[in-house]
Amino acid sequence: MAGLNWLINGWGTWLAFKQFTSKVRLIPDDDLPSVSILKPLKGVDPGLHENLESCFHVNYPRFEILFSVSSPNDPAALLIQPLLEKYPNVNAKLIISNQEVGPNPKVNNLLASYKLATHDVVLISDSNIRVSPDYLRNLVPDLTPDVGVITAVVAGTHPNGLGGYLEASYLNTFFARWMFLARVFSFESVVGKSMLFKRSTLERFGGLKTLSGYIAEDYMTGHAMKKLDLKVEIMRSPVRQYLGHYSFSSFWKRHIRWGRIRKSIAPLAFIIEPLFFSSVTSLFFALAISQWFGFHFGLAWTIHMTAWWIMDSFLCSLIDQFSWKLILAWWVREVIAIPIWLAILLGNTVDWRGKDYRLLPGGLLEGIAK
Amino acid sequence: MYLADFHIHSNFSDGKLSIPALVDYFGKREFGAIAITDHFCEDTSLIGKASTYLGVTLNRATFPIYCELLKTEKARAWEQYGMMLIPGVEITKNSISNHRSAHFLVLGELEGIDPNKDITETSDQVRAKGGLVIAAHPVSTQKLEKQTYHLWDRREGLRNKVDAWEVASGPYLFDEVGRSGLPVIANSDFHQERNMTSWKTVLRCERRQDAIFEAIKKQKLEFFFYREVKRRESYHPQRTYYGGVELAHQRMGNLVSV
Ligand SMILES: [Zn+2]
Ligand SMILES: [Zn+2]
Repeated sequence: MAGLNWLINGWGTWLAFKQFTSKVRLIPDDDLPSVSILKPLKGVDPGLHENLESCFHVNYPRFEILFSVSSPNDPAALLIQPLLEKYPNVNAKLIISNQEVGPNPKVNNLLASYKLATHDVVLISDSNIRVSPDYLRNLVPDLTPDVGVITAVVAGTHPNGLGGYLEASYLNTFFARWMFLARVFSFESVVGKSMLFKRSTLERFGGLKTLSGYIAEDYMTGHAMKKLDLKVEIMRSPVRQYLGHYSFSSFWKRHIRWGRIRKSIAPLAFIIEPLFFSSVTSLFFALAISQWFGFHFGLAWTIHMTAWWIMDSFLCSLIDQFSWKLILAWWVREVIAIPIWLAILLGNTVDWRGKDYRLLPGGLLEGIAK
Repeated sequence: MYLADFHIHSNFSDGKLSIPALVDYFGKREFGAIAITDHFCEDTSLIGKASTYLGVTLNRATFPIYCELLKTEKARAWEQYGMMLIPGVEITKNSISNHRSAHFLVLGELEGIDPNKDITETSDQVRAKGGLVIAAHPVSTQKLEKQTYHLWDRREGLRNKVDAWEVASGPYLFDEVGRSGLPVIANSDFHQERNMTSWKTVLRCERRQDAIFEAIKKQKLEFFFYREVKRRESYHPQRTYYGGVELAHQRMGNLVSV
C-alpha cells in the first residue's frame, strides 16, 4: 500500500518536474493570437497594487486588459485608475457592472468584461496572481485546436502568518502534485485563478453565463471541455499567488469550504483522499515494518515521514523557492490534513462571502435562509 | 425520405461518443433527424443516487450545460448536414424490481424537466409545450441487462400520456408491442458504434421538428433495419431484413417487413 502510494506520488512529482522544465513552443510574433485578459476585482488585499501593476509589464504582441468591479465604490476601482494613467501604452480598461445572473459572484463580476472583450482568446486571471512578463508567451502557444482550457499550478508565494505558510506548503506540494495526477486519471481539475480558453469554445455551451450557477465554475469549465472532446492542459510554469498575511482560522475555513465543494463534485475521489496523505501512508508503512520486522513503530513512522518530507521539499523548491519556514509548516499541514478531512466529511454547507449555501451533487448551490 | 433515430446516448451519460462526435457520425451517414437522449436518473432512489455518483447520468449540475450544447450543435447539425437534431433526455427510474423500473424519452422540450416527477406529470408538462413522450424498450430487450416493464404494465392507463412505444430497440423487434395496437417507433438505443446496426425509423415528412413530431403522432412511419458494415451498404428503404411483424404490418400497412 505504502509502496503503491510512493509510486503514485513519485510519479506526480516527476510529472510536475517534467512539465516545469519543458520548453515553450516558439511561435513567431505575427502568428500569436491577440488575447483579452480579464481581471475580476473585489476589495483591496495586501499586495494588490503590485499584482495589478505586474499585468502592465506583460510582454506580448497584442493584448488588452479588462479590469472589472461590481461597484464604482469598490476600493479596487480607486487603485486601478492611477495605473491606467501611468501606463497609457497598455490597452487597459476598468469595467463597472453589477449584473447578477447566478449565485457565483466572480462569474457575475466577469459577465460584462467577457462580453466586451474584443479577442477570441481570453485569459481569466485572479487579482491575487502576480504575473511574470512572459506569462502569455509561456501560455498561449499551447492553446492548440485540441485544447479546451489551460489552467495552471498555483504557487503560494510571500506567505505570512501560520495560515499563510500552511497554505503555501499545501499548494506547493500536495495540491500541485495532484493536479498532474488528476489529469492522468482524467479527473479534469481546473483552477480558476488562471484559465485560458477561446470564447468561441465556451460559447458552444452557452458562454460564461451558463457557469454562473456553479460555485466551482472552474471545475465545470474543465468538465464541459472534456464533454467536447477537448483537453484540459496545465501551464508549463506555475503562476504565483501572493498570499500575504493569512490567519490559521481563515486557512481552516477556506479548506473546509473548498473541500466540501470537492466532495459534492467527486464524492468517491474525496472518500479515498486520506489514503494519499503522507501521515496515513506513513502509518501503513510503520504498521507493516513493525509487524514483519519488529521495527519500532514510532521510529518507522518518523523515517517514512521524513523521506516524504524530502520529496516534498524538492517539489516545493521546484515550484517556488526553498524556505525553512515553509517546510516546517509542512509537518503541521500534513498532520492537520486528517481533522480537516473529517470536518469536510461531516457537513454539506458552505459559508461563502457571508451567505450560507447547501451544496448539491455536482457543485450546484442552494441558498439557505438564515 | 430519410433515416431517423430518436434514442441516442452521449458521454453526458453512459454513451461513448461526445455530442459533437455523434452529430458527425450520424450526419456523415446522411440521417435526416436524430434525438440525443441521455439518461437523467431520478435521484431519490438508491440506484439513481449511485448512478449520479458514478457520473453515468445527467444530473442537475450537468443538465444546463447539456441543454446549451444541444442548442449549438443543433444549429451546426443543420448547417453542416441538413440534419435535424432534437434535444431529448431519457428519464430513468431504476428499481431493483423490473416491474417498478421505467425509462421514457422526452423529446423537444427540456425546460423544467425533473427526473423525480412521474411520467403522467412530465407528459402533461412536456406535451403542453409541443414535446413528445416515448416509452423506451417497454418489454424484454432479450439482453442480459436491467429490464423496464413498469410502463408496459400500465399501458392502458397511459394511452393518453405516451406518444409512441418502442417497437424496436437496437437489433430487436418487439412483437408484443407491434401487436398491441399502440402507436410505435423504432430506435437504436445507441451507446457506441457497434450499436449502429439496428432498427431505425424512416420518415417522409419535412425535416422540421413539428413535422417530425406530427408524423410520429400520426404514425406516418416506416421501419428499416440498418446494417453498419465497413464499407457502408447503400441505403434501400424498400429492402428489409427481418420478419415476424406481420400483424403490425397488416394493421399499419406501412411497417416494412419481408
Ligand atoms: Zn433505457
Ligand atoms: Zn437508452
